[in-house]
Amino acid sequence: MTALNKKPVVKKWLLALLIVLLAGTAVIWYLFTLKHDDTATIKADFTVEAVPFLKEFETDLSMANKKYTDKVIAVNGTIAEIEMADTTANIKMSDTTNGAYIIFAFQQQHLPEAKALKVGDEVSIKGVCSNGAFSSILETNYVTFNRCTINK
Amino acid sequence: MNKMKKTVLFVALLVASGYVFAQKKTTTSAIIGFDATTSLDALPKAENKTVIASLDTKTGKLAFEASVKGFNFENPKMQEHFNGKGWMDSEQYPTASFTGSIINLAKVNFTKDGTYNVEVAGYLTMHGVKQPVESRAVITVKGAAINASSKFNIKLADYSINGGAVAAGKVSKEPVINVTAVF
Repeated sequence: MTALNKKPVVKKWLLALLIVLLAGTAVIWYLFTLKHDDTATIKADFTVEAVPFLKEFETDLSMANKKYTDKVIAVNGTIAEIEMADTTANIKMSDTTNGAYIIFAFQQQHLPEAKALKVGDEVSIKGVCSNGAFSSILETNYVTFNRCTINK
Repeated sequence: MNKMKKTVLFVALLVASGYVFAQKKTTTSAIIGFDATTSLDALPKAENKTVIASLDTKTGKLAFEASVKGFNFENPKMQEHFNGKGWMDSEQYPTASFTGSIINLAKVNFTKDGTYNVEVAGYLTMHGVKQPVESRAVITVKGAAINASSKFNIKLADYSINGGAVAAGKVSKEPVINVTAVF
């Protein structure tokens, strides 16, 4: 093969390499800049009432965690407590018979919604269920939620 | 009958005083920050805002409980890795906890506003491994509120966390843990 014949082959390989590099860079850029979706735009996998939902965790913690962990859930209930801090406002719903509770940490862009709520308000909160566990500090069951918003 | 009334009253007062002067303060909104960023990767950084914490102002006993899945990363892929088998394996080890106490409790006056530097020692359990930890902490008393904060490093290898990302230097081998609780 002459040197003149080799040139187009080299060009083809260089072009292919460039395409692979560009595609790789695009994938890495996508993965590095990926963000969580706004929960307000996600359809809930389940819609539940706060107290029966807590009872499911009390009855079978493992089964309830398998069913609900990492799922987007809309929880209807009464606000029992609001825990304010500098950067956050967590909302709690509880089972008054045994102190078990659900705690909702709001997504940054929805924090003002949480701060506007009052104890006793009937609300529907949508968020990602982190998991349920038994607290040896409080000696009760609890379920934590992340990236929450008011379910409209 | 009169004696019985007095006894009932005495018991009621005793119970009531127990509530009024309760020494164990609790919160369900303590915050733990986790920063394992390196020069190669700025993504392994997360916060858990639903941590349960307790502080006994009489004995100095401190305790924290955090759901591992409650750590929220900005990047969902990083969160997936954090919970995966190569890192925290949150399915098998869903919670992390700390139990310990303030060593120099005498330095703190919980009835007087001020900032007190203290030493905390105890045991941190995560990824199924329990290790002793010691750290400096700051207690700030302002009115009825007590703010406790601490910042310390942990060695992931001490907790049997040796995933590929750690070995490749993308995740700090000694992440910074930031703890804040308002009681």
